[in-house]
Amino acid sequence: MRALYTAATGMAAQELNVQVISNNIANMRTTGFKRQRAEFQDLMYQNLRRVGSNTSAQGTKLPIGLDIGAGVKTSGTPRIMAQGSLLPTDRELDVAIRGEGFFRVLMPDNRTAYSRAGSFEMDDQGRLVTPEGYLVDPAITFPQNASNISINQQGEVSALLPNQTASTVLGQIQLARFVNKSGLEAIGDNLFLETAASGPPQNGNPSVDGMGTLLQSQLEQANVNAVTEISDLITAQRAYAMNAKVVTAADDMLQQTANMMR
Amino acid sequence: MDNALLVGLSRQVALQRELDVIANNIANINTNGFKGESVQFEEFLSSPARADSFPLADRRVSFVQDRATIADFSQGPLAQTGSPLDVAISGDGFLVVDTPAGERYTRNGALSRNANGELVTSEGYRVRGAQGPIQFDQNDADILIARDGAISAMNGNQIADRGKFLLVRFADPQRLTKEGLSLYSAPGQQPQAATADTSLQQGMVEKSNVQPVAEMGRMIEVTRAYAALANLMNRTQDLRSTAINKLADVPAS
Repeated sequence: MRALYTAATGMAAQELNVQVISNNIANMRTTGFKRQRAEFQDLMYQNLRRVGSNTSAQGTKLPIGLDIGAGVKTSGTPRIMAQGSLLPTDRELDVAIRGEGFFRVLMPDNRTAYSRAGSFEMDDQGRLVTPEGYLVDPAITFPQNASNISINQQGEVSALLPNQTASTVLGQIQLARFVNKSGLEAIGDNLFLETAASGPPQNGNPSVDGMGTLLQSQLEQANVNAVTEISDLITAQRAYAMNAKVVTAADDMLQQTANMMR
Repeated sequence: MDNALLVGLSRQVALQRELDVIANNIANINTNGFKGESVQFEEFLSSPARADSFPLADRRVSFVQDRATIADFSQGPLAQTGSPLDVAISGDGFLVVDTPAGERYTRNGALSRNANGELVTSEGYRVRGAQGPIQFDQNDADILIARDGAISAMNGNQIADRGKFLLVRFADPQRLTKEGLSLYSAPGQQPQAATADTSLQQGMVEKSNVQPVAEMGRMIEVTRAYAALANLMNRTQDLRSTAINKLADVPAS
């Protein structure tokens, strides 16, 4: 009975849907997190009667065919890269991007990763690092005793050094943007890697060429909307239950058939 | 075998197929742009038996046959996604997609950009615009899709025109063939330009138009009918075994 297997594809798809939704909800408070959604497509159809085939020698044709579908498959879990809301934090080293672009982060294996999470720290040598201790690229080093750190909308980092009245420019935060940012590969730790689908990064300063602007003392919240996620969860759960009912119904029919033999 | 058994069998085979269709509808309850299907049955009459010695004319035995699956092309509900490249089609139009196998049509408007900046489906097939493929520039931001399918984007400080979606409709959508992957092909039918009523909604996708309540109802109907037939076929067998026993019971004289 094909219905059993068709319903099984439906149950598998909804299970994956719940996984994606639960990951979104789990990361509701993750800085710079971008939600995913599961997308589905119908599987192949078996043509028992092909539409348009001849029904007589006079050239009459079947106006409608008999096609039986084989279920559903997950086509992908694209990431929705929409802007998250901004939360003021009162920390000097928190930076949010409003608009396109990602921070560049140098990973220990010398690859460059990209991130929307701007909750930066300073390491023991005064360098600007992510919470994991990865260097921000290009590197920015704060001298000892630097105070009043300011990061402007164009990404210029300046601080007040001892015995000086005007602040000194210490470096420039650069951003990278991608043609298809949904094609980036997430590797956890709020980091993304470039892929063949995302296209190569284009580096540039914030506020130039369509790059986003930087906002100091703000953090970009996850773009997860609780209401959407919960209603998606309800739909997924109900769809799962209904697919399970189809399995029961098919089983019921098979049982009837088996009982016919005495 | 008895006709009753064979007639019952024809109905059971048809019912199994109907459950297959319902299972496919329910499996695709969350598939964007999916259109539900139902099965159409028809009566199939056997050739008349020739027996003139009965006072009443012989009736022809009627079997059931599943004839066709009819797709319900009604509008599915629109769900907001927040992704600027998602479009929902309101009306009877289809998007045109270039696949390796040729031109295909879809109602699934969950689109994205590929590494070359082209507008593609989730399978990576290019979406056709009114004048060739739709191509974005590297610096495009804030993409806006108008109701009529015109696409524009902010490039630097200027608004750049990025073409227009090609929307088509079919005189007889029932003759479209489902190919899976939310795609339709149109054998022996030429697409026509969509009517002015067809509009696009940006940031939304059209969900599956399968109605869970109706499908559950149909499923119950199928299982009940199947059980009733199984019962009927059991009775036929009982009838026959009783007949054999009674008729063969020659009383000893």
